[in-house]
Amino acid sequence: MNRGRFLIGAFSGIAVVASTDHLFARALADAPLPGLPGGEDRVLVLLNLQGGNDGLNCIVPHGNAEYYRQRPTLAVPQSDVLAIDRQIGFNPTMRSMKALYDQGRVAVVQGVGYPNPDHSHFRSTEIWQTAAPATYEHTGWLGRYLDDANLPSNNLFNGIALAQVLPEALISNKVDVPAVAQLGGYGLISDRNRYARATYGELVRDNRFPFTSPYLAHIAEVEDDAQRGSEELPQLVAGYKTDAAYPATPLGRSLALAAQIVGSRTGTRVLYVQHGSYDTHVSQKGTQDRLLGELSDATKAFYDDLAAHGNDKRVLMMTFSEFGRRNAENGSNGTDHGEASPLVLLGGGVKGGVYGSYPDLTENDMGNLRFTTDFRSVYATVLERWLGRPSQKILAGAFPTIPVLG
Amino acid sequence: MATIATAQVRPAGHIEVSNALAPYRGSLDRRSAAHLLRRAGFGGTSQEIARYASMSPGFAAETLTHFADTSALPPPPDVYDPRPALFALRGELRGGDSTAKRKARQSIRREMVRSILSLQNWWLGRMLATPAPLQEKMTFFLHGHFTTAAIQKGVWPAYVWQQNQLYRSSALGNLRDLTLAVSKDPAMLLYLDNALNNKTHPNENYARELMELFTLGHGNYTEEDVRQSARAFTGWSLNRKAGTFFDNRRIHDDGVKTFLGRTGNFDGTDIVNIIYQQAACPKFWAEKLLSEFVYGNPEPELIEQVAALIHRHDYTLAPVMSTLLQSNVFYSERAYRALVKSPVEYVVGTHKAFGLAAIVPGSLPALRAMGQVLFYPPNVAGWPGGAAWITSQTVISRQNFVAQLVNSKAMRQGASWIDGLPMDADTSSRALVAQILQSDVPAQAYSQLTGYLDGAGTSALGRLSPENAAERVRGAAYLTMAMPAYQLS
Repeated sequence: MNRGRFLIGAFSGIAVVASTDHLFARALADAPLPGLPGGEDRVLVLLNLQGGNDGLNCIVPHGNAEYYRQRPTLAVPQSDVLAIDRQIGFNPTMRSMKALYDQGRVAVVQGVGYPNPDHSHFRSTEIWQTAAPATYEHTGWLGRYLDDANLPSNNLFNGIALAQVLPEALISNKVDVPAVAQLGGYGLISDRNRYARATYGELVRDNRFPFTSPYLAHIAEVEDDAQRGSEELPQLVAGYKTDAAYPATPLGRSLALAAQIVGSRTGTRVLYVQHGSYDTHVSQKGTQDRLLGELSDATKAFYDDLAAHGNDKRVLMMTFSEFGRRNAENGSNGTDHGEASPLVLLGGGVKGGVYGSYPDLTENDMGNLRFTTDFRSVYATVLERWLGRPSQKILAGAFPTIPVLG
Repeated sequence: MATIATAQVRPAGHIEVSNALAPYRGSLDRRSAAHLLRRAGFGGTSQEIARYASMSPGFAAETLTHFADTSALPPPPDVYDPRPALFALRGELRGGDSTAKRKARQSIRREMVRSILSLQNWWLGRMLATPAPLQEKMTFFLHGHFTTAAIQKGVWPAYVWQQNQLYRSSALGNLRDLTLAVSKDPAMLLYLDNALNNKTHPNENYARELMELFTLGHGNYTEEDVRQSARAFTGWSLNRKAGTFFDNRRIHDDGVKTFLGRTGNFDGTDIVNIIYQQAACPKFWAEKLLSEFVYGNPEPELIEQVAALIHRHDYTLAPVMSTLLQSNVFYSERAYRALVKSPVEYVVGTHKAFGLAAIVPGSLPALRAMGQVLFYPPNVAGWPGGAAWITSQTVISRQNFVAQLVNSKAMRQGASWIDGLPMDADTSSRALVAQILQSDVPAQAYSQLTGYLDGAGTSALGRLSPENAAERVRGAAYLTMAMPAYQLS
């Protein structure tokens, strides 16, 4: 905003009175955090790699000749791979991630996908977000967790999406999850005037309109929550100090805010962060290398920040992408939409290592990797072994957990 | 607490499908005229609303679908052409020192961004000032539908402008012709990579989105159809020197393809024609148009009706839009305020509500904060719309935009009618609510606003008076626009 062109001080004729609504926030800050069954105050950070991350060039099957045959120009040279073992290794841009792997903080789950894979970005994203490959659900898998978890209903921050748009994963029936792209700008100018603030609150809370609209109640609720939340959140996290060196990237800023929220008494259980776009139909190498480097470096800074504050054991990060990409490269130095791909779990509570089996590059599904681990098994693991809730109802089915968490 | 989970929600209540598309026989008033102008344009000024309120629904729809002369509007800004600078990079700067080259590249990028900014400002100004609002509304709709993002992938400002003009000139034209033109449009060829689609290893990006997002919808084709269509589109590229479509036969796959049940040596034109012969195609467009202009998640029976209309007119939009915009269902209570304003509708409409003649500086960053930057959609599906527009972050950005707009230089200089309101708080609050929200507010809102104008609840401030009117009226206008109803179209 070019503030010079606007005359700020919309309500400058009236004295700005300090808010006293902080009482709620302070009360929250002083209260002990509600505990999970495990007794720990655990947080899940879900990191969406938007656009379909090419798993083959992320966790590279450098011991597989078929990979090099199908990717004559795009394959990562064997000598460049940051080897995990003789079969697979990290993309060379992921040095920081590899360092965390070597410390036993990273688990790679291979071949994650679902039956009858969909190649549409939008449908496949929806499937991952709602955990429903065969039906259309209105709530997200973490939204259903929030509905189920009996978290304090007066806390506005049980879940937070660090995004402008609320992702489907966090859409719930009972809990409104705020979307906060960044703290700067997260506040109503009119709230600086107590008089306008009070009237605003009265007006947005009254939704007895003389017409009906399917969106009216929703908007009234979000406007009300936004006013209260934007006043409370900056205060709740204000005391957090860090020396962590985050990269100056959007993901770096998002993860810095995530660490700040985790390290403050907000009662947050679920955070959502996004990164992209990984949709590399053309000139894949430059784009994906840059993104994986950003991902790796920002994640390392995040982990170090958590560890420096003693929060590393409280936080589990999980990446996901709507699909991997086609085994064979296309004619424009890129790859088209594929199917199964690996994902990463990271945190102090993770038992590092490689889980699941790498999909076969020859026994494939029209040139795409067939999944070997259902993504709902990973979700079930996170729900049961991390968030401490039964998964069967949330996932509409029983899925075996993976022994990846302590 | 309860929240809306779906992006598109169907309004409650009964619908009479058999006469949903029949002409509405009622007469227009300010409320219904404002509804029409929000949907078929970007809202109305007080005068525009009064003008349309005096028309019959049929005449109003015909007035909107027969575009008024726009030749008096400001011409578009010059678009930056990076080619001379790019050629220099390959020519005289080649092999030279890297600092000079880096500086040249930075300068190219800066100029491109500046050029796009001036196009954004120009377009917002045109949305505000045009005497043919539906033309700009359709251009805006098509930009979100056949969407393309600027600068990345070589989508230079000139291509952005060319595509924008394509949508404007096709605003109520034939959808099949437009789809074919889009398939040859340089910005689209670059954005969805078809410019690089060759017979050796076809690139499926355009072929997939053409069916999924542009014409048929998910589920109306197979993965094999995507692959076959990609083969047919091989070689549809552009001449980068001339900046025009180029059918590169050397990299075109001349083999036989089987696509949606048909077999032949197809090229892109055949693919578009076959797509437009599918029963799913008019239904796809019917749902699109209903969701954009009437209400979200329309009933299957209503979609069938509109699909039949589209089919009858062989995909020509003008008669379809005219029918929709004067129909019973369009003027039904189900359609009334049943959509969420996009940020662009919100920003331009707010200028209209205040009667401002020009877009206020600061509008572009405000749009970014609300989640909509023209020529920069989040992805190939365009902007998600509906309930997705409303999050705590974007709502704050919306309210803050109005808080700053009411104190903008233009408003301070008395450009708006709000400075002419009387010093009686009750009369003024009624006038604000009538002008801004066509009185669509809860009964209590009047006393809240009156109380605000009169300084109720505060001891030292005093009642509404010429001394405090400038602040109070601005504050009250802001608060009127903060009400949930104002987010709705």
